[in-house]
Amino acid sequence: MVLDTVTLGVARSELIVIEGASASGKSTLLELAAAARMPDRGAVWFAGRNTASLQRASLPFVRRNIGYCTPDPLLLLEESSLANVMLALAVRGESPGRAEQAARDALALVRASELEGRKVATLSSGQKRLVALARAVAGPPPLVVADEPAAGVGDEAREIVARALTAARDSGAGVLAATADTALAEMLVQRGGRRIHLDQGRIAGAPAMGLVPAFTPSPVSAERAQPGVITLEDDGDDESTLQPATRGPT
Amino acid sequence: MKAVWVAHHVRRQVKAHRWIVVGASAAFCLLALVAGGARLAARTVTRWGAFVGQNVHVIVYLADDVDQERAQDLAELLRRVPTVAQVTAIEPASALARLNASATAFGVDGKALDGLEPSYFPRSLEVSLTPAADLSERASDLAKRLRPVPGVLQVDAMGSGLARLSVWIKLGRELGAVVLVALALVSLGILVAVFLRSRSAVARRAAVLVQLGETASGIRLPNSLWMAAASVIGGGVGALALSLGWQPLVGLLERNLGIVSAPPLPSLDRAEIATGFALVLLVGLAMGYFATPLHRTQDRA
Repeated sequence: MVLDTVTLGVARSELIVIEGASASGKSTLLELAAAARMPDRGAVWFAGRNTASLQRASLPFVRRNIGYCTPDPLLLLEESSLANVMLALAVRGESPGRAEQAARDALALVRASELEGRKVATLSSGQKRLVALARAVAGPPPLVVADEPAAGVGDEAREIVARALTAARDSGAGVLAATADTALAEMLVQRGGRRIHLDQGRIAGAPAMGLVPAFTPSPVSAERAQPGVITLEDDGDDESTLQPATRGPT
Repeated sequence: MKAVWVAHHVRRQVKAHRWIVVGASAAFCLLALVAGGARLAARTVTRWGAFVGQNVHVIVYLADDVDQERAQDLAELLRRVPTVAQVTAIEPASALARLNASATAFGVDGKALDGLEPSYFPRSLEVSLTPAADLSERASDLAKRLRPVPGVLQVDAMGSGLARLSVWIKLGRELGAVVLVALALVSLGILVAVFLRSRSAVARRAAVLVQLGETASGIRLPNSLWMAAASVIGGGVGALALSLGWQPLVGLLERNLGIVSAPPLPSLDRAEIATGFALVLLVGLAMGYFATPLHRTQDRA
């Protein structure tokens, strides 16, 4: 999927809902935001650093500050749900005690406390997604990136997903959620989320959403400074595109 | 990664991949047995070779009328013969003392020899030849030349026994080499299998940790540690088995083969054991490190 002339910022305590049809570029945009892919052109600013220009060895220090929830979550199947959620907190350097408490809180937030001790291999795909969402919002990290967070979890769980994302936002995290589920998008917008529509790799109706500086303002973004955690920006070349990188994430 | 989490990951992985840990330990144990066993076997064969090469090859029993002075003259004559390495004149009293010593070494009741007196033993000359492949032939040839010499009562060339022992030692050395190479290949095969199995076993965990932002060293460290622990345990068991079992085994073989050799029996010294542990530790760490793939980030549940 190709992104074209996308400029987007996510501030602290901000919830952005990206809507768009299938293959509109939502997942690619989120992968770029989560530092899971590198753009061929342009920049992805996180905490004052352009992750696109970071060395591979530096990327983990960006990724650990981003709670990334994908539609097809990568979990440890032979570990319990609690252990999976704790793993994200362990990587961030939390003590085991604090990590366990935060993981329990996150699982409670997505109403999955009863899954704490169960091996992920025994969970349904919907339950796995809830565990992955809990892992993404546990803490919470400075940025939560959720790709189709309500896919496959059932209608009644939509409210749970919306509550988890807004709770992360209320705790100070920037939240970037992409969904094709209009009901979920509406719920998030009603709770203060900013709606953005992505169409064929472009942000519909707004060529530029404004640049948002990271914690340490960069020279490029300082002109339009406002507090934020991540910025995705085009490099100013009208013909340039932000394409999925072939480079590995490590 | 904090030490407490490293320990946590090591525990979890050992629990999750216990059969890989057992396999790695077994492979390193076998490798230690092969490497240590090869060293000890070489030492033992050298010791047995020395027994063959340095023991007496020809015994010249002298007549009763040959006195000590005449015996020394004969010994001096024999020393001038090419390929003769050493000649020792044995007095009857020394012969009896040796017999008693051998009986004691083999655990024979010494009372059975109480009635013997030195005068029962003839004066003799023990001849050692320079070690070479034709030792038994040279011993027989020398014996043949000595038998007509005045004062010589009987000559024992010991040629057939020496040749037989040489052949057995040579055969044992070749068979041992084949067995050791086969065992080394088996242990290396197990190690490769363990490596590949552990690589696939830790791939998902590595991919999850990559996505969560763990550094490459943070992902590899726990794997290296549990593999190193498995290797040290396996190597330790192998070294312990060799330390406890080799000397009794060699002692038993020597008793059965009739080889009398001076103690101590071959064993591994501390430097060798320490070097072995260091090598095993390094190989274990390297295996854990390289068995951790960091590129499979698309492996999704």
